[in-house]
Amino acid sequence: MNWSVIFEPDTLALYGQGLVVTLQLTLYSLGLGAVLALACALALVSPRAWLRWPAQTFTYFMRGTPLLIQVYLIYYGVAQLEWVQARWDAVWPWTQFKEPFFCTLLSFSLNTAAYTAETLAGSIRETHKGEVEAARAMGMGHGMLMRRIVLPSAIRRMLPAYGNEVVMMLHSSSLASTVPALLDLTGAASRVYADFFLPFEAYLFAAAIYLCITFALIGASKLLERRFLGYLAPRKH
Amino acid sequence: MHRNSPVKLQVDDIHKRYGANEVLKGVSLTAHAGDVISIIGSSGSGKSTLLRCINLLERPQQGRILVAGEELALRPGPGGALEAADHRQLQRLRTRLAMVFQHFNLWAHMTVLHNITEVPVHVLGLPRDEAVERARKYLRLVGLEGREDTYPNHMSGGQQQRVAIARALAVEPEVMLFDEPTSALDPELVGEVLRVMQVLAQEGRTMLVVTHEMGFAREVSNHVIFLHQGLIEEQGDPRAIMANPRSERLARFLSGNLK
Repeated sequence: MNWSVIFEPDTLALYGQGLVVTLQLTLYSLGLGAVLALACALALVSPRAWLRWPAQTFTYFMRGTPLLIQVYLIYYGVAQLEWVQARWDAVWPWTQFKEPFFCTLLSFSLNTAAYTAETLAGSIRETHKGEVEAARAMGMGHGMLMRRIVLPSAIRRMLPAYGNEVVMMLHSSSLASTVPALLDLTGAASRVYADFFLPFEAYLFAAAIYLCITFALIGASKLLERRFLGYLAPRKH
Repeated sequence: MHRNSPVKLQVDDIHKRYGANEVLKGVSLTAHAGDVISIIGSSGSGKSTLLRCINLLERPQQGRILVAGEELALRPGPGGALEAADHRQLQRLRTRLAMVFQHFNLWAHMTVLHNITEVPVHVLGLPRDEAVERARKYLRLVGLEGREDTYPNHMSGGQQQRVAIARALAVEPEVMLFDEPTSALDPELVGEVLRVMQVLAQEGRTMLVVTHEMGFAREVSNHVIFLHQGLIEEQGDPRAIMANPRSERLARFLSGNLK
């Protein structure tokens, strides 16, 4: 093993650069995905079929195909369409498709949105019928019932599953390394491997960084669960 | 019954069908201010359905509902059942009728205090500090002062039901609807809930109580309605009709229930 190369300032800087891209991809796609997931989950539980069907088709496709294929479909597929390229110098949002970062972020966001939407929709469906009935009997309209009772309760109950989704998203972001011109943490490791032919050192170091972030994420998720799911915990006194 | 006091609730000729099964075949009742009406009957007699038709948790096929003189506007909806013609009116009238459920139905993610202030603040538009003051007053009344920050799941069934009663009181309703409030409780917890309901009755609140507690029906209510197969079989002064039921069915029902 030759670790001295890894800890040279230039190599560390490369890892640092990759780490920033990985964190940006993960956080931005989770943020964007969460907003999309909320809309999609509400459509999934809607009594109106014309809202439900598009949402079901979307989550079926995104959960039924590998993320790598989705990245390729957007980066090599959509972004290479002549129709899109004819517009990507001037017309928003197509200007964005020039950027590999945007293409990757878009595919990640759509993917996590689909998984999160199904989790949230399941959580909404499992809302205690009596709690909904009590709110209606007390004069709440549909909007307030969703805003004040169903969603706060459903989002709390989905926290443990969502914690897993966050960790999965961090790990899936390593697929960004397959996009040329995008250097994430895994991409940085590959660069180090290629430059020095040190496969174990290069990838183990990246793995150690992923491990640390995962640890922090799991810790944060446990804290959130304790704070927001305390009402479900057994009585302590 | 308090026939000289104003009418708080009037229900006329309620019919309710599930498919071919007619659960309510034309039930009417009137509650004057201060009335405590017990609705008794064997299971399947339609008593819970009747209560749930009054605030339209179930949609009847036919009937009229008036809360403090205001008629709930109904129109035929899909499937033949009636629906509210004006959702705002339905929501407003529902806040005048507070319901206490068999399974409490407290909002589990909210503390006791928030359960009680939720509707006054967000539906009735009361300022928060006023709602909190109200909540504390009613928590004291149900004997749970100091439990504001507890979550419902951390309380016993009897305590949860008392919180649910405080939540219903906090909207200061015209009529309180109790749907078998003690049926889900362990026997030793029934008393604490019935005692609170007795206090409410003595305060002159108007209450409609679907119950299996014959003691409560006899001692606390001033009117008893016996439902049988979707019709009022017999009604009247609790002591009178429970001591001398005129109908054969009520006699049989009581002998099966009184221990």
